[in-house]
Amino acid sequence: MHRTFRFLSQAPVQAIKKTVLISQSHDIYTNLAYEDWLYTHQEFENHNVLMLWSNDPCVVIGRYQNPWLEANVPELPQITQNGVLLARRKSGGGAVYQDRGNLNLTFFTSKKQYHRKHNLELIARAVHKNYGVKITVNDRDDLVIGDSKVSGTAAKLGRLNAYHHCTLLVHANKTNLSRALHKQRWNIQTNATQSTRSKVLNLSNEIPGITINDLLWMIGYEYLNTNDFQYINPEDNFSANVFACRDELRSWDWCYGNTPKFTINKSFPIDCKINCDVTITVENGRIASVDLGNTAGLVVKEGIFDNLKNCQFDINVFDSVANLLFDAKELVAKSKQV
Amino acid sequence: MVIHRLITRAARVVHKSAAFNKTSCLNTQIVRLISIGRCNFAERLYTNKHEWVEVDGKIGIVGISDYAQSALGDVVYAQLPDVDKTFTQNDECGALESVKAASELFTPVSGKVVAKNNDVEDTPSLINSSCYDKGWLFKIELNKETELKELMNETQYKEFLKSNEH
Repeated sequence: MHRTFRFLSQAPVQAIKKTVLISQSHDIYTNLAYEDWLYTHQEFENHNVLMLWSNDPCVVIGRYQNPWLEANVPELPQITQNGVLLARRKSGGGAVYQDRGNLNLTFFTSKKQYHRKHNLELIARAVHKNYGVKITVNDRDDLVIGDSKVSGTAAKLGRLNAYHHCTLLVHANKTNLSRALHKQRWNIQTNATQSTRSKVLNLSNEIPGITINDLLWMIGYEYLNTNDFQYINPEDNFSANVFACRDELRSWDWCYGNTPKFTINKSFPIDCKINCDVTITVENGRIASVDLGNTAGLVVKEGIFDNLKNCQFDINVFDSVANLLFDAKELVAKSKQV
Repeated sequence: MVIHRLITRAARVVHKSAAFNKTSCLNTQIVRLISIGRCNFAERLYTNKHEWVEVDGKIGIVGISDYAQSALGDVVYAQLPDVDKTFTQNDECGALESVKAASELFTPVSGKVVAKNNDVEDTPSLINSSCYDKGWLFKIELNKETELKELMNETQYKEFLKSNEH
């Protein structure tokens, strides 16, 4: 007995400090930059942090995803009045649509303390205690009610630090969600990480009238055991390198340029007789090559697509290819007349 | 390994000694002989973050250990360092994605990347199925061989895994 007490008294008794940070920014790039800054600049071994945040309409894709496969890229600017932004986060996982009806939660810990199930159970517990609604954690670390998903999961693990984040659908606009994530029928070949499509549900369907503020308060309280939350405006706390990170996250090079190499193939008619089969290879988001498969006898000059090389890829590039081929066909026709 | 290190160390002492510098021709020959011998001792060394490196001459082949691949789960994407990039020991040099998590990859030694495993980029599951062979990640030209002394050999790494300190 005595020995046991001695052992206990010698054991390092260091309670882990906890902080709940509530971001006052609703800009996806600002929040992602602040999240990244915390991850790279703080130590979490003795001080765990939960960051709660909410964004204006956006689609957030995983670090190694292809935006043209995951989001309705051409229509995003028209979906809401200010458009739906596209962002690439630094963690893995799949694509999500979110707006001010979503609550994002980032659990920062040391890598050793990283425990996704533990965090997800905390969320489920907070909802169950306050609203009596049962949320379960499935084997993919999604939060589900019945067979519908209310949140996914993504994480980033470093040498010492880690974070796990997820986004709860509280009362998000499901019409915008479907449109923003509308699956395109483009023929893309890639080894980029692809999202698993699932049936989704807003918590408001089960808990009418639920607000982001209520939920934020309840989860914060479950985490901290008090309501001593810190409200932060990342804009005020920004140091120069956080601004730089935000600008990087907002840039075309980050969002689109980081797309894993892919090829996209399309067949289209040049006239009633000629059907062209075009394959474009895209590296770092830029056109690396344009190759013609079946040209049905259309003779195409070498180097006809040279001007397209290194251009930022955009779905409209197929129109440019079609125009070039059409011109080539006209040229052939004219030379035959002469 | 111990014998090998002793030989290398002895060679260095010999190399530095004034008496031998006078007969530098003989000296170079001895060092050469020993450095050729070094190739035959290629052994897998580990970091406490579960990367391994197998050194042959000045080139180290880098991968992750069986413990690491099993902890990660199915790897679905591998971002490997580009050839010609230079890194310092423990630098972040890429990432592996598995079960929705992006795990940073660190280089166990300093140097310049001379090759990356394109097969792993195309088929990341090779890391799970063959982490010490087909699932190697990149090759690096070492510029600080003394760093190898800080790494663990197979036996030490096994002890380290048992110790729960990882």
